[in-house]
Amino acid sequence: MTTGALQVLGLCALNVLVAGLLSPLFEGMLRKLRAIVHSRMGPPLTQPYLDLLKLLGKEDLRTTGGVLSALGPAMTLGSVLVLAMLVPMGAPPPLGFAGDVIVLVYVAGMGAVFLMLTAFASGSPYAFVGGSREMMLLLAVEPAMAIALVVGAVKAGTLATGAIAAWQAANGPSLSTILAGLALFLALQAQAGKLPFDIAEADQEVMGGPLVELSGPRLALVRWALWARQLVVACLLVEVFAPWPRLGLLPLDLALTLVKALVVLVLVAVIDVVNPRLRVDQALRYYLRVGFSALAALAFAVIGM
Amino acid sequence: MSHVFLLGLAGALLLGGAIVSLALARHRILSGWLAFGAATAAGVAVFAVVVDTFRAGAGQETVLLRLPVLGAAWTVLVDPLSAFFLAIAAAICVLSALFSVHYMAHFERDSVARFYPVLLVFLASVVGVLVTTDFLFFLVFWELMTLTSFFLVTFESESRTTQRAGRKYFIVTHAATLGLIAGALVLWQTSGSFHFGAMRDALATLLGTRPLVGNLVILLFLLGFATKAGVLPMGDWLPDAHPVAPSGMSAVLSGALVKIGIYGLLRVFCGFVPVAGPVAGWGIVLALAGTGSLFVAMPTALAQTDSKRLMAFSTVGQIGYICLGLGVGLYCLPDRPALAALALMGALFHTANHACFKACLFLGAGAVLYRTGERNMDKLGGLGGAMPVTASSSMLASLSIAGVPPLNGFASKWLILATCLLAGMTAPLFLVLGIVGLFISLVTLASFLKVVGAVFLGQPSEDPRVREVPWTMAAPQAVLAALCVLLGVFPQVPLRLAHAALASAVQIDLPSSQALIGGPWTLAPSIGGLSVAFWAPLTIAAALVVLSALAYGLQRSAAARVRRVDVWTCGEPHGPSAVRYPATSLFVPFKDAFHGIYPAVPARAPAFPPALRKALDLDRWLFMPAARAVDRAAHGVGLTHAGIPQLYLLWIVVAAAVVVAIVLLAS
Repeated sequence: MTTGALQVLGLCALNVLVAGLLSPLFEGMLRKLRAIVHSRMGPPLTQPYLDLLKLLGKEDLRTTGGVLSALGPAMTLGSVLVLAMLVPMGAPPPLGFAGDVIVLVYVAGMGAVFLMLTAFASGSPYAFVGGSREMMLLLAVEPAMAIALVVGAVKAGTLATGAIAAWQAANGPSLSTILAGLALFLALQAQAGKLPFDIAEADQEVMGGPLVELSGPRLALVRWALWARQLVVACLLVEVFAPWPRLGLLPLDLALTLVKALVVLVLVAVIDVVNPRLRVDQALRYYLRVGFSALAALAFAVIGM
Repeated sequence: MSHVFLLGLAGALLLGGAIVSLALARHRILSGWLAFGAATAAGVAVFAVVVDTFRAGAGQETVLLRLPVLGAAWTVLVDPLSAFFLAIAAAICVLSALFSVHYMAHFERDSVARFYPVLLVFLASVVGVLVTTDFLFFLVFWELMTLTSFFLVTFESESRTTQRAGRKYFIVTHAATLGLIAGALVLWQTSGSFHFGAMRDALATLLGTRPLVGNLVILLFLLGFATKAGVLPMGDWLPDAHPVAPSGMSAVLSGALVKIGIYGLLRVFCGFVPVAGPVAGWGIVLALAGTGSLFVAMPTALAQTDSKRLMAFSTVGQIGYICLGLGVGLYCLPDRPALAALALMGALFHTANHACFKACLFLGAGAVLYRTGERNMDKLGGLGGAMPVTASSSMLASLSIAGVPPLNGFASKWLILATCLLAGMTAPLFLVLGIVGLFISLVTLASFLKVVGAVFLGQPSEDPRVREVPWTMAAPQAVLAALCVLLGVFPQVPLRLAHAALASAVQIDLPSSQALIGGPWTLAPSIGGLSVAFWAPLTIAAALVVLSALAYGLQRSAAARVRRVDVWTCGEPHGPSAVRYPATSLFVPFKDAFHGIYPAVPARAPAFPPALRKALDLDRWLFMPAARAVDRAAHGVGLTHAGIPQLYLLWIVVAAAVVVAIVLLAS
């Protein structure tokens, strides 16, 4: 095997490990933050890890015996980790040769698809309501995310994620990329399933929505996938729309990316704490506006601003 | 063996099969098997031609019949573009024939004499359309194809909706054919010949001398073929006609028939319209028509509760993607042949992919209909456990049409969207169209998650009739679903064929397929030597499988106990049907946002003149009065037969007296 292939595999492993192993830590920090705003002590930073360990050993209650309900959660986590390999984290995306921004947008939707299929397979009406809401949020959020990435692609003249990030790092911010970054940030709020857009899970209304009939190890995997997804999308945001400064040394760049991602997620969490939940039609209207604003960013990009 | 011999053999097999299956139509199953056998044998012959064409290039043009008076001659030539569509049409028709063997047996009233023979003649006419290179004979086969498909659509003779939909199909497509005839006649007037080559030259001359008339001819061809392809607004017949046909025929309509419209568009716009001429402008028209079509049709599909109607609307939407790809390709053809070739390859690839997944979905809906008698998704649910093959095939096809990587629908949509966005970097209109395409692919996802969720997933159905369909119905679905996976993971193969097809159709030299799509495992289209888009299905699929397997290992790692429980319904026990979430309720606020996007214009057919109706009604003024007169006369004669012997004796005496009187008077 050539060194090139080994390097790709190494970077893949790194991205997967960052997305897999660090995402519960980020979730722990966000929980702590929420507790501070609520004037509580809050759980220790390691609580999400403990939650996962506990859930992995608990009894797995299944409403239907199908293959889909057995494999769905694993596919959800797997597709989120594939997404992690398409996103730059301190280095060009390790699977950049295998997928450009269009692939990235579709793979980003895949996790939600498998989660919805798992939900529908459980047969619970709450899961159907939750899955339906999840799909509508996807319909609202992904176009905004896609337009933001297309703005980057138009600026850089290529669809390759790594090349877009490199172009940004070399050329500095411009009006269109700032607007596009803002759109992606607003989309992150719903991608991370945070208030005011935790409409799909909405514990008080539909009791966890897609998660209502998941328990034990399957719940652990889905929770893990959701935590990993918010970290990966945050990394995508900071790598594509705020890649400065680029130090050229992988560990330093990675650390910087993670710190920036944490800042972004803290902002998301603060918005989460101080907002009530919107109805799904309100969310649709909100993201319609975000999408059209992102189209303005695209117009700026076309005229070179 | 020459192509013409093999094609003739295929035609003879199909027509022979039609006659035999007609003769044996009383035995439903046997007739079906015979039709399937004939279709398969003809399919093998057609595939031999297809393989040979792709290997050795276009054969020799053969003249079979001359009509010198009209300047027409039946010339036959199979080039790779024809071969590409021949392969799609033959494969879909053979699989549908197999599916129909048992499916058609459940129509108790209607005789299969009106199905199998017509299906075989239909396939023969499709082959004729694809291999003929003379417009007059092309139109003859085109008309035969339209007529046979009309009879297949209206198979259920007693249903009013079926007859209505069939009538709409008949009228709309014939209006379109009229456009084709008009366009062909204008060109014929210039050149005096119906041959494709002569018509191309005539169009070039016409565009030079009278550009307005030349463009009008192109518009007529566009309208004619786009109507068949189901591009809105002319494709309005499609959402009515596809659902009412028997399911095997719905699969053929969406899988093969509408593709012939795409073939026509490719022939005209790549082969006839000169590259130096107005082709870029027509590219924009096609791209806009395609995007409009997908933007209107997919949200409408989302709102449907009839599974087959949903799929018919989504056919309109997916044809929109194909037209978008065609439009991008034509727009780029004069200046950027590499990008143009990629976009057209994407469109052709999507054509093949759409044939696979849409045929699979229609067959799946047919299988559900066969077992439950139900197309309304609100009344279905939880069939997955009892119908595993149907459910898993339909699910794969659904994910495929929704563009979930690494299935085939994604590969072609990716190529279309990537080329659209790349073209958009200099022509911003295409950026907007590409983003609309991206958004609508999410709507497609929502529509087909609705199908999968509402029909197959959820708590097992309580309906005792539900079990897996016979293997003749399950096998075609499984084959098509497997094709969805294979074409998705190895897109290089179909893309090479699409490249060969295009290279034979367009009038300029295209870059080699190697230069266009890059390495053996990665699709990396490059523009000006720089790779700008990437898709490596095998890598992503392998990564997904490995990581999901790791995750599954983790799920099993603590050996957590698995227990079956009932769905939690707030503590009160309810049956599955009581708590099932109906398909209508899914995505309600989103559907409301698109309400009315597909306007339903209440069109009243013009009243039929009563006098003409009377004149045409032979029953009323000829047959019935005649029959009644005969009846009355017979009644009068019957009165003489009262059954009393004395009366008969009296008649004999009277008759004898009359005879004697005549003899006496005469002598």
